[in-house]
Amino acid sequence: MARMNEEGQWIVLMGLLVAVALFFLALIVNQSALVGQTTAEGVLEFPKNDIRDLREAVFDYVDGGCPNGVQEDIVEISLERKNAVVNFTVGERRDVSGRELRPVEIHYNNGVTEYDETMYY
Amino acid sequence: MVNDAGQLYTMEGVAAGLIMLLTAYIVISTTSIYTTGDTHIPDMQLEQLGSDVLAMMDTPDGDGDGRSRLTELIGAGKGEMLRNEFLANCNMRTEDPDDNLQAQVFLSYRRTDGSVNTTPLSSPSDPGFTGRENTVRVTRWVQLTGKPSGILDIRNNTGPYAVLVEVLLWRA
Repeated sequence: MARMNEEGQWIVLMGLLVAVALFFLALIVNQSALVGQTTAEGVLEFPKNDIRDLREAVFDYVDGGCPNGVQEDIVEISLERKNAVVNFTVGERRDVSGRELRPVEIHYNNGVTEYDETMYY
Repeated sequence: MVNDAGQLYTMEGVAAGLIMLLTAYIVISTTSIYTTGDTHIPDMQLEQLGSDVLAMMDTPDGDGDGRSRLTELIGAGKGEMLRNEFLANCNMRTEDPDDNLQAQVFLSYRRTDGSVNTTPLSSPSDPGFTGRENTVRVTRWVQLTGKPSGILDIRNNTGPYAVLVEVLLWRA
């Protein structure tokens, strides 16, 4: 080996700093591989469109004068095709701030997301 | 002739060569990294697109009788036309050639005995459909006032009915 001397210590130290900086940059790059995964999974998992669509179906049902059999259609088909336990009730019209509205309760549960709503329609 | 001076330099050279090879390998393989998100993001986008198109087709054109295009087509039993109009809306892109999405339409309804039946309303738009495509399913509730044509065993003869339109959507 060559003999030891003490020159160039600043250069060695700067080299160490650069190495540490590169290490942290590598950590960031490593994290970027996961970008969007949890977001996409969350969107896929959360039945936003299903719940909105169910609400519209219930509103159509109330608009149509609560015809016989339609509620059973929605409950049965939801269970069979959407893997969701659904129920809803429509009450009698009552006075709500000067308007005659029906209380509507909607319950939705697909095992992951549970949604309950009471509204006047 | 051969002498053994400079052996340390030779070893250093070999080590440096190995390090450079390793670096080149890592750099080149980085560009083809398959992120875990790749499996879910396209599905999510496809599902959102399909839901939006169904919601749009379920919106009545005017104030009139409040019947949407989706309700009309289901009531008339025109599954092929529904599939084609759905795909026309899905594949539309601004200033670009059309996208290449494929679809098949199904209808779920309740039969006389109370069981739920699902029947295809259209054939797959892709003649080479194998059943192994990576599809997403989007659905929409439709309420019909009369019996949909072509569906003979729906639960009673008068209606109204609530039926579920299901669309399988995939990228060919």
